[in-house]
Amino acid sequence: MKLQHYLGGLEGLPEIESLEKRVFVQDWEKRIFGIHVAMMGLSNHLGSALPAYPIDEVPTTFKDEWTWADLRTGAEAMNPFDYFKYRYYEKWLGGITQFFLDKGYVTEEELAAKMAESEPVDAEVKTEIDDQVIAYLRYGDDPRRDVAHPKFAVGSTVRIANRPAGSHSRLPGYLRGRTGTVEHIFEGDYAYFVQTGDGIGDPMPIYIVAFDPVEIWGPQAEDGPETLYAELFEAYLEPTEENA
Amino acid sequence: MTGQFAYPSDREEASAKKVAALEALLIEKGVITPQTVDKVLAYFETEMTPLNGKKIVVKAWTDPEFAEKVVADTPAAIAELDFPEGMAGAEGEHLKAVANKPGVHNLVICTLCSCFPWPVLGLPPYWYKDPVFRARAAREPRKVLAEVGLELPEDTEIKVWDSSGHSRWFVIPERPAGTEDFTEEQLMELVTTESMIGVALAGAPS
Repeated sequence: MKLQHYLGGLEGLPEIESLEKRVFVQDWEKRIFGIHVAMMGLSNHLGSALPAYPIDEVPTTFKDEWTWADLRTGAEAMNPFDYFKYRYYEKWLGGITQFFLDKGYVTEEELAAKMAESEPVDAEVKTEIDDQVIAYLRYGDDPRRDVAHPKFAVGSTVRIANRPAGSHSRLPGYLRGRTGTVEHIFEGDYAYFVQTGDGIGDPMPIYIVAFDPVEIWGPQAEDGPETLYAELFEAYLEPTEENA
Repeated sequence: MTGQFAYPSDREEASAKKVAALEALLIEKGVITPQTVDKVLAYFETEMTPLNGKKIVVKAWTDPEFAEKVVADTPAAIAELDFPEGMAGAEGEHLKAVANKPGVHNLVICTLCSCFPWPVLGLPPYWYKDPVFRARAAREPRKVLAEVGLELPEDTEIKVWDSSGHSRWFVIPERPAGTEDFTEEQLMELVTTESMIGVALAGAPS
């Protein structure tokens, strides 16, 4: 069990006293958010994305792949007890800084020196870089691929796979081993940014699976009519004995 | 939830210095430009904002045909509206609307991270990313909703959507009673981000 994947259903947590409606609670959080979006918009995989961006022509020195999967892999690979010590954008700042250090874009010494001074940076504005980042926001990175050949039909009962967790997963932990009903099959296959090691990456069908809370939580399920739906890649589904 | 932010005072200062240093180095080294981050933030202030979601909801309230279509084929329905290009952009490649109706209430969550329909709602507020909310809304949504001021009738079905795949979900809340004579502008004021994720009703005091 990897705690980050098992957040759903975790017990013993406090009441929610109020909703913090701000998107950023500190100004610095905006800067790391902007850097992350820029990295996604300049990622070298976008040349073969849908739509295909002319990424090789963009005059940035960024030459690596950076997607949600990279950000999440970093966060989900953390020691879970550290993970929960940090606020949302603190984890981003740590993961993104480490990426630039690991890949050699910056060094610890340069960072330390910059933190000691605060002179404004003067550099040429290459608008093609900014235009590419905004184009990514406007046109996205569509994971949909070919026509799907789904293994399961709407209405069929499926069991959720319980494979060893990689660093990163798109399978909510609380669903592992549970039984649900296929509610909907999306048209097309869907790729994932990376091979997660737990079955997803190559294009495959995605299903909406409906779960009865009693199946998931047993006698602790809330009273009253409720249904929980998750969107699950086909690799996370197994036939039950009845339809094997 | 405010206790979550009660950290030693230099914690924020250290993060602020670190991100400023990182951004400066990335500019010097030609990864980004001095304007990249500001342009990204401006895009979220002007184009990827909850105003888009409010327009979609009000359209659904005032046009029954659109109300059906926005649930059946969300991207096609949104494409009919007068939005600038970008409603199928980042984190909106596969938008999916679910509509509340008498006896059915929808709640969108993301227990693994913070998946959110950027083009229609902008960026997620902190409560959506809060580990306590994410953990508890999956197991006890009725109780969580009551804690944040939304007491649903016992026989109202709650549908919880955990955003674990490619879709980015949002809720079309019900139009409040007594708003028949409202203008579109007045109706838009009733729609909040919270109501479009399902932790509040439209028209609820915020």
